[in-house]
Amino acid sequence: MDRSAARPWQRFFRLLVTVWPGALWLIFFLVLPTLLMLWASFLHRGPYGELQGPPTLENYLRFFGVTPEGFDPLYLQILWRSVVFAVVVTVVTLLLGYPLAFAIAQSRHKDLLLLLVVLPFWTNFLIRIYAWIVIFQHRGVVNAILTALGAPPLHLYPSWFAVYVGTVYTYLPFLVLPVYTAVERVDWNLLEAAYDLGAGRVKGFWHAVFPQTLPGVVAGVLLVFIPALGTFVISDLLGAGRVVLIGNVIQQQFGVVRDWAFGSAAAFVLTGLVLLGLWVYARLAGEKGLDRLV
Amino acid sequence: MRRLLNFYTLVLLGFLYLPIAVIVALSFNKSRFGARWTGFTLHWYEKLLSNHRVLEYAWNSLFVAVVSTLIATVLGTLLAVGIWRYRFRLKSALRFLLYVPVVVPDIVMGVSLLLFFAWWRQKTGLFHLSLTTIIIGHVTFQIAYVALLVKSRLASLDPGLEEAAADLGARGFATFRYVTFPLVWPGILAGALLAFSLSLDDFVITFFTAGPGSTTLPLYIFASVKRGVTPEIHALSAILIAATTAAMIVGRALMQRR
Amino acid sequence: MKKALLALSLLASLAMAKQELRLFNWADYIPEEVVQEFEKRYDARVVIDTFEAPEAMLAKLAAGGDAEYDVVVPPDYYVLQMARQGLIRELDHSKLPNLKNLAPEFQDPAYDPGNKHSIPYQWGTTGIAWDSAVVKKDLDTWGVFFNPKNYVGPCFLLDEMRETIGAALKYLGYSLNDTDPGHLEEAKKLLIGAKKRCLGFAGGVEARSRLLAGDAEVIHAYSGDIIQVQLEEAPTLRYAVPKEGGTIWTDAVAITRRAPHAELAYKFLNFLLEPKIAAAISNYNAYATPVAAAIPYLDPELKNNPAIFPPPEVRKKLEYIRDVGEAIKLYDRIWTEVKSR
Repeated sequence: MDRSAARPWQRFFRLLVTVWPGALWLIFFLVLPTLLMLWASFLHRGPYGELQGPPTLENYLRFFGVTPEGFDPLYLQILWRSVVFAVVVTVVTLLLGYPLAFAIAQSRHKDLLLLLVVLPFWTNFLIRIYAWIVIFQHRGVVNAILTALGAPPLHLYPSWFAVYVGTVYTYLPFLVLPVYTAVERVDWNLLEAAYDLGAGRVKGFWHAVFPQTLPGVVAGVLLVFIPALGTFVISDLLGAGRVVLIGNVIQQQFGVVRDWAFGSAAAFVLTGLVLLGLWVYARLAGEKGLDRLV
Repeated sequence: MRRLLNFYTLVLLGFLYLPIAVIVALSFNKSRFGARWTGFTLHWYEKLLSNHRVLEYAWNSLFVAVVSTLIATVLGTLLAVGIWRYRFRLKSALRFLLYVPVVVPDIVMGVSLLLFFAWWRQKTGLFHLSLTTIIIGHVTFQIAYVALLVKSRLASLDPGLEEAAADLGARGFATFRYVTFPLVWPGILAGALLAFSLSLDDFVITFFTAGPGSTTLPLYIFASVKRGVTPEIHALSAILIAATTAAMIVGRALMQRR
Repeated sequence: MKKALLALSLLASLAMAKQELRLFNWADYIPEEVVQEFEKRYDARVVIDTFEAPEAMLAKLAAGGDAEYDVVVPPDYYVLQMARQGLIRELDHSKLPNLKNLAPEFQDPAYDPGNKHSIPYQWGTTGIAWDSAVVKKDLDTWGVFFNPKNYVGPCFLLDEMRETIGAALKYLGYSLNDTDPGHLEEAKKLLIGAKKRCLGFAGGVEARSRLLAGDAEVIHAYSGDIIQVQLEEAPTLRYAVPKEGGTIWTDAVAITRRAPHAELAYKFLNFLLEPKIAAAISNYNAYATPVAAAIPYLDPELKNNPAIFPPPEVRKKLEYIRDVGEAIKLYDRIWTEVKSR
């Protein structure tokens, strides 16, 4: 769709005006920092936290457990823990969110309901997280109700449970929206056809409806899984330092421990994992699928 | 079946709104700690509104959001138009690049920007951490969202339109101005709105790119939460929630007028 | 549109009219009246950024913050290290006439001989705190964190590397400036065990909030933090230095090497050494002041409080945290591990 029956300099000018400003920005502030981080991951930390050469694989080795004292799987365990965490969060969110998206699409008030689901997402996410502290803390809402009923108080904060609840809560709208979009596009005739062929309700849904919603489901799953994998705020606030995910490790290296080299290496491993997942997704869904993410 | 779904919807909506309701309710609670109701008061709202530092942080957040949205919308829209209209080498590389900020965890982006600014500061003394570096960080991910939204809007346009305009004698920029732009406008607006709200809400990238005196509201809320929330933050949150709700309602009303 | 621009530029010029002082301090460590008094006297605007843990403060300064802030409040054991790293400058004492107000023991402190790079701000101790309404007995050992037999209830460890590793070392009977890798390994094991038993790590103020909210029953706390709230609204709180010993520390105030407003910074440091100002700060924070001339102006509940001004038998058990030089890398590694497991 190139209007360029035009001369090369005209084309150059057009590209210069449209594509180049944005592209240059992205190259300078996205690509270059990433490359810098890659380079930093091969350096190591000086006595006062500066980055020092000579280049070394030490950070990656340390991350993958190869230390002079023997195999120490600490960071691999944390990475694994983060993956498991993200998977559980995604599954729970899917189980909760899919029926919700379905219910909204079927409802008479879908616009209103959609607005209601999206509204919390538009409020500041920190507020929504610390609200759970208020609900789960020792003299918080849950325990206030329990003690009023004469039951013993529960210890819910800080805890893994609180972190799970907070994370599912934060990312639920990210799953509901794409699934809703997909359900909206479902061709119900296929379900009718399935019924005609004698399928029951469950089978009809599973074979005629669910596959059509799959693109939305996959988009939603990615939009939950990836942020959950890299989260550190939720685990920091609701887990109070007991819940350590890979995001927390990275943040500690840059914030407190000042080992930017190791932090960069950890960040790269995380990025690699995410890009791997994306690559798999792109293979399966093609470029259209990526577009649907937005 | 429908009844079941409706009931389920109500339960889940309850789950979604429970924390918000708790915050708003507690902002009027006399007690400083815990959730036991000890009386109604507007005291925390008074304290909040007389706290000039908080107002400064709110101003910072707003300033960053407005400036970054403007920059990102312009750059992102141009980018999307360029990608849609023209063929050029490295087009698919650029398209892939657009997905990176959307997909990669923001802690990675934040950390790489911290490194980047530190490195430049060493070499040139530029890029002191400040509102400017926050804006730069925000624009970097906002461009991607704007470009992708505008791109999908453009993709839904009839390709024949531009050809028709060209047949009628319009040249490149004129075509854009009178044909493409008005049709793409809703996409640009959607992109700008999304960029704006992402900036206001952002914590992670801001966390790594903020300097002294450039605290934004999310950073302030985080620091307060880590220290042990005072109900002033509840009051602040309630105000923010009300403002967002109002903005959404107004926005929808405006959209529906079209 | 033009009017808006005019208004904006007016606002901007108004904001720029005042000289600015950029302070990087612990959260809630200076009373608002003192800040306002300074702003009034010198027609300045004080911008305060806060930190919750000294490691984070150092990280921010090392990442370029030393050119952003004018005045910073590091703990004593950081002063020489920061001077070596070129983050803070040598002080010109001719600009600080109020130095004479300091008590004799603070004129030439061990952490910064001759006060070459800093002035003392507040001093205090670190120990354990609990709510006597919940925990009926008096606690006296670090074992509440480190020994399952002494476990009292939900606890928080302090999110400050040297203090917390130091507590473990003291419990083991070592110095809290120990650099022996074997001793540090033992401390590490204790800490990992403690982390499992406790609720997690928290900064001073955060831990105190958790104690007051009932989420925790015992915390590792700074003396003044607890006394401040005990005097104000929570009389059942208790603070004590464990029998194995603890930390005595001095927080210092320094001017960054690349401070954008150095002259104003000097005025600020001198201001902090005025007797009435130093007393106001202490009365607010409930910490001890190094300014001898300020003692008469202290609230009586502070002047005579053994938690604030420890008696000699307690002082014998207290140790200053010192810079351990290269061994800090060892501490950092252990801290990362403890926090990550």
